[in-house]
Amino acid sequence: MMPLSRPVNEHSRARGRQAFENALIYLILTAVGLVTVFPFLWVFFTSFKGTADAVYSVPPQLIPLHPTLANYVRVWNLLPVWRFYLNSIFVVLSVVVLNTLFSSLAAYPLAKMKFKGRSAIFYMLLATYIVPSALTAIPSYILAVQVFHYYDHIQAVIFPYLATVFNIFLLRQAFKGVPDDLIDAGRMDGASELRIWWDIVMPVVRPSLATVAIITFVEQWNNFFWPSLMLPTLANKTLQVGLVAMQGAFVSDSRGIAAGVVMTVVPMIVFFAALQRQFIQGLTGAVKG
Amino acid sequence: MTKKFTLTPYFFLVPAVAAIAVFVLYPIFAVVYYSFTDYSIVTPPIWVGLRNYQQLFHDSIFWKALEHSFIYLLVTPTLIILSMVLAIIVNRKLPGISAFRAVFFIPVISGSIAVGIAWRLMLDTNGIINGILLAVGALKEPIQWLAEPALTLPLCMLLTVWLGAGYYMMIFLAGLQNIPEELYDAAVIDGCSSWQKHWYVSIPGLRPQITFVAVISSLAALQVFNEVFTLTGGLGGILQSGYTVVYYLWQQAFRLSHAGKASAIAMVLLVITLLFSVMNIRLLESGTEAEA
Amino acid sequence: MRNKLFILLVLVSVVLASCGTATPAPQAIPSPVTVIQQVVVTPTPGPNPEAVIPNVEANATVTFWTFWLSPTFDQYIKDTIARFNQAYPGVTVKWEDHQATFQDDLKAAFAAGNAPDVINLSVGEGWVSDYATQGLLLPLDKAVPQSVKDVYFPGLWSEQLVNGQNFQFPWYNFVAVDLINTQIYTGTPSKDASGNTVYTGGAGLNTADFPKTTDGIPALCATIKQKTGTLCDIRLTVNDLLSQMVYEGNVKVLSDDGKTFTFNSPEGVAWLQMYVDMVKAGTVDKTVLLADQDRDSLNLFETGKAAFYQTGPNLIRDVRANNPGLYGYLAVVPAPVGKSGVGGKGGMGISVNAKTKYPNAAIALAQFFTNPTSMVAFSKLVSVYPSSPSAYDDPFFSAPSAAIEDSAKPAAKDYISKLADIVPAVPNKADVNAIVLKHIQDALFNNVSAQAALDAAVAEANALIK
Repeated sequence: MMPLSRPVNEHSRARGRQAFENALIYLILTAVGLVTVFPFLWVFFTSFKGTADAVYSVPPQLIPLHPTLANYVRVWNLLPVWRFYLNSIFVVLSVVVLNTLFSSLAAYPLAKMKFKGRSAIFYMLLATYIVPSALTAIPSYILAVQVFHYYDHIQAVIFPYLATVFNIFLLRQAFKGVPDDLIDAGRMDGASELRIWWDIVMPVVRPSLATVAIITFVEQWNNFFWPSLMLPTLANKTLQVGLVAMQGAFVSDSRGIAAGVVMTVVPMIVFFAALQRQFIQGLTGAVKG
Repeated sequence: MTKKFTLTPYFFLVPAVAAIAVFVLYPIFAVVYYSFTDYSIVTPPIWVGLRNYQQLFHDSIFWKALEHSFIYLLVTPTLIILSMVLAIIVNRKLPGISAFRAVFFIPVISGSIAVGIAWRLMLDTNGIINGILLAVGALKEPIQWLAEPALTLPLCMLLTVWLGAGYYMMIFLAGLQNIPEELYDAAVIDGCSSWQKHWYVSIPGLRPQITFVAVISSLAALQVFNEVFTLTGGLGGILQSGYTVVYYLWQQAFRLSHAGKASAIAMVLLVITLLFSVMNIRLLESGTEAEA
Repeated sequence: MRNKLFILLVLVSVVLASCGTATPAPQAIPSPVTVIQQVVVTPTPGPNPEAVIPNVEANATVTFWTFWLSPTFDQYIKDTIARFNQAYPGVTVKWEDHQATFQDDLKAAFAAGNAPDVINLSVGEGWVSDYATQGLLLPLDKAVPQSVKDVYFPGLWSEQLVNGQNFQFPWYNFVAVDLINTQIYTGTPSKDASGNTVYTGGAGLNTADFPKTTDGIPALCATIKQKTGTLCDIRLTVNDLLSQMVYEGNVKVLSDDGKTFTFNSPEGVAWLQMYVDMVKAGTVDKTVLLADQDRDSLNLFETGKAAFYQTGPNLIRDVRANNPGLYGYLAVVPAPVGKSGVGGKGGMGISVNAKTKYPNAAIALAQFFTNPTSMVAFSKLVSVYPSSPSAYDDPFFSAPSAAIEDSAKPAAKDYISKLADIVPAVPNKADVNAIVLKHIQDALFNNVSAQAALDAAVAEANALIK
């Protein structure tokens, strides 16, 4: 709000400064944006290059002069890309749903109930928080192969993630923020704890649930180490593992690899673009006090 | 006032606790045991006492991997500064600003593997990076980016920063939007310039986010695997230049079938993450206490 | 209505009945006729000549894993299994082909206790001794009759011995050749003013001059780099470096008592120095020198970026599929021989799981796939070569052939008969190899002298096996 007594030249000078600042900002953002998307642009164009278009040349040629879909056909015929997607979607959805469910179930008594052994369980969970995932790989591998017999099955990449301590603690914080009166009211009404949890408490912590779901989603989508150990058969691989297999199958065939990368990345980008707002909202709820 | 319960809490806890007990708690004990054995997974374990730890102590490659993992921590301050600056820049109402935010998030959504593979293509000796540098005359001869030991780790770290900037930028953005406008107004009245505003208001206001990002990013840096795996084609780089602790663990366990030695490595990693987590939890606690 | 129908039926039956009974015509009195009866005697089938393993268990089920043979050879494998069932009826064969993840799958299967009974393992890459030293494979010397053992070339039967015992049936072998990209090596042919063929754009070399021994390679790479700017596509056998030292450099890697490593000898240093010099001269592509799989380096050649590549002619079909243009100007020459004078070891073998429930059935299957009849059929499909002398008696091997894939055929028998495993059994092979790889990298890339690098490797390896 500009006080009317301010002289006119200062006003226009301030506006000019603002415009300059804005232009600078756009410039910086464009530069950073270009650096960010350049690999994708290059991969995108390379995937359409025919054998006549040089992939490697000096000076480099970005746009293909003889665009073709042959590379996509080649990758599609050799690798079950749609299966990679299906597997990944199935795994990620299962983990997100089950993990959020189990973690929120576990977080509730830790936040809102007094019972014997609460501290013990809390500290046990805290202790497991520090365990790096690479450490659990070896015994989990043996469990998968010798005990559960789900090596090369999709369950192998779902079961180990049915609950994570991080999510439990995050939700516990959220549950703690729910006013006790709401819960007491429910208890006085004689509702079961499960009722209270589902009908009263969960709706209140919905933003945190969204955060947990999104963090888990991104983690699982990107998960490579464990699935690469568990899913050797091509048709069973998740997307990230399938990508590496594709790179192994095409090695120096840059056009093929580019087509494969585009096929796996573009749908995700489209998906994200459509749900951009929810995504970001959910994610940023992570660090609210 | 919370009621005292007997059985109900356990029903709530059972699924999660069971899963964690099987997949996190049991493995700790199993790995402790395996670290004292010679175990190839295919044949039963043989007790060897402290031999794995002794071998590890004298293993120059292990120390190199450890060193690389600690060097990797440099990505954390880089990411914090870069993401914060980006967040500050995009935190304004300008037309098209949300498009930029989305663009910065694309690397996160594409996944580290896809991006790593794309980078590997670009960094090929005959690839586009060399192509551009040669064309503008910055280079006389192409650099074999992926075969220069000195470049392997920096390239991986660059990839990590490139991948994480958008993710952490979002977190800082949310934090910025939580800072009350009045604080900025007060700063302006006190005579702060544009960047001083951020120094005195934004950065302190972002303390919880900075802590969060520091924790997540440093733990991830210590345990990095995907970037190394994709950029070195699974081989760890010439002269082990890309070896990190987790990479070495993976190689020992699943390429050379030395599950015993790998378990010893895992124990060392556990001690490191324990120390870091304790540090982080302390920081978190003090941070939230200060807020409260 | 029903009554009418009934009457109709009765009438019909009466008519039919009367038709049936014809009064017999008076018969002529038959004159005696000699009838010669042809009795067809089915000869009892003699024993199937291919069923050479006795006491095969009845109703056995065996699983068979092959390495990277599907889908190209699906029909061949199925046909061979069908023939196997004729020789040994009652044995059910379950076949699986595993590719890039073969080793991972196999290790997991062994860990889970359900590893296949019959396993295709690479002799060339040293897998047989890897698994045999862990006691996972069945020793074959005592379990197989002598007459069956005599079917194979002796050099191939005694390969990858562990404690003096053989664990594999030699299957198909490669003749090492060098594939040459004549566009880079010689140049693109065109006619000049006087009608002579001139080559432009290449190194101007004649394929007949390709080095016959490995020590000619560095000079060749230098020439190619100088004339065309292309780097050499050379891959060290990173999974079995000691073996490469033995064949290429004639290096004695292990002392006779098997207790000390000796590859830091002058021969060893000379071998390593050759590669160090090439790296320093910048004539080799560093990114594929230490590639994990043969296919990585093959692919570099296939995309037309290398002048030559050493492999087996059976992979020419890969080149043809991935880069038909390159196939058009491909030349094939015999691969240079190392200082040991021995071309190499065998290619692929078939081993038997030590814990199989049906050892005789498993041995029978392994033997069947490797016998001359099966091998000749395989060789007709792709340029791989049998492990038995009698297989080469088939006219197929002496028939001339124009296709470039078959250029190795005439000399194959001679070459294969000379293949031998001259590498001593190395204790802790995988770990020793990792040590050697680490120190070789120091010499190649870190300015450590070859002598110092090998000395350090020997010291570390000796400490390991102490």
